[in-house]
Amino acid sequence: MSTTTRRIDHAALFAVLSSLADNKQAVGRRYAYWCNGAPALEAAVAAAAMTQDELGHARTLYPLLDNFVQAEADLSQVEPETRTLHYSLAYLDRDFAGWADFVATNFLFDTALTTFFEAAQQSSYEPLRQRARKIVQEERIHEMHGEGWVRRLARAGGAVRATMTASLERLWNETLCWFGPNDDPIMQQLYREGSIDIEVPVAFNASNKQWELTGALPWDRWDAVGRRLG
Amino acid sequence: MATEKKARRDALNESHVWQVYARRKFEEPLHEIGNVMADDVELAKVYARSIYDEFAWVEMVIVPRETIVHVIET
Repeated sequence: MSTTTRRIDHAALFAVLSSLADNKQAVGRRYAYWCNGAPALEAAVAAAAMTQDELGHARTLYPLLDNFVQAEADLSQVEPETRTLHYSLAYLDRDFAGWADFVATNFLFDTALTTFFEAAQQSSYEPLRQRARKIVQEERIHEMHGEGWVRRLARAGGAVRATMTASLERLWNETLCWFGPNDDPIMQQLYREGSIDIEVPVAFNASNKQWELTGALPWDRWDAVGRRLG
Repeated sequence: MATEKKARRDALNESHVWQVYARRKFEEPLHEIGNVMADDVELAKVYARSIYDEFAWVEMVIVPRETIVHVIET
């Protein structure tokens, strides 16, 4: 696909949009495996609907890449069919080990991406602003699903609860790292230019019921280009 | 191992049925379109929306089946 309009020269926005599109695509693909494997028929139908939504979000984001000068280096990378780069979380590289991984991705990571889209609803870059509003609207249902299932698995107790906790712990650091370190040049630039207006909660302190940073994140494994842990 | 698997399955079995009602126009009454099973009300809402999404409903409600009072039952 080529565009007749002038391309925008904005490496930071191009990098984040690439990561958002790849992650949405990866989440959709992982969800898809569970359309007939969820614990109940109702959950399977919901998984199918969420799969469609996630792949739809990826589909609306990929075409934006073609609007950037940075795409010219390799135009095959702006089409999902020919793209060989995968700037999605390492957690999404492998099949989900179980339903708990689905719930953890839904509850933690997809919600984290929605936090970004919420912050982008007033973006100075109009195509992102338009898409962000639609995505945030659709993600409300996904959030209800994620929260409902975390409650459900937590109440089940025993091995069910332990499996869910393990899935959440495996995904926790990488989800937080996706937003980048405090001095992340990409996010800093987007924030300065009004592309996003974001404050990222980091960890929940149960004793004072506050979100705060409780430990160091594994920045030594951070891949700043792929926005993922190595 | 089999016992553990069964315990996990049992722990996730849904036991509450919710009747789903909806209408396509405000001038129409709500009518029953089906049901969903969920122990969590928020999940029941998600399930109702995703399963019965064939029309652009203007209203959809769910009612726990156990709260329905029969007036005539044959």
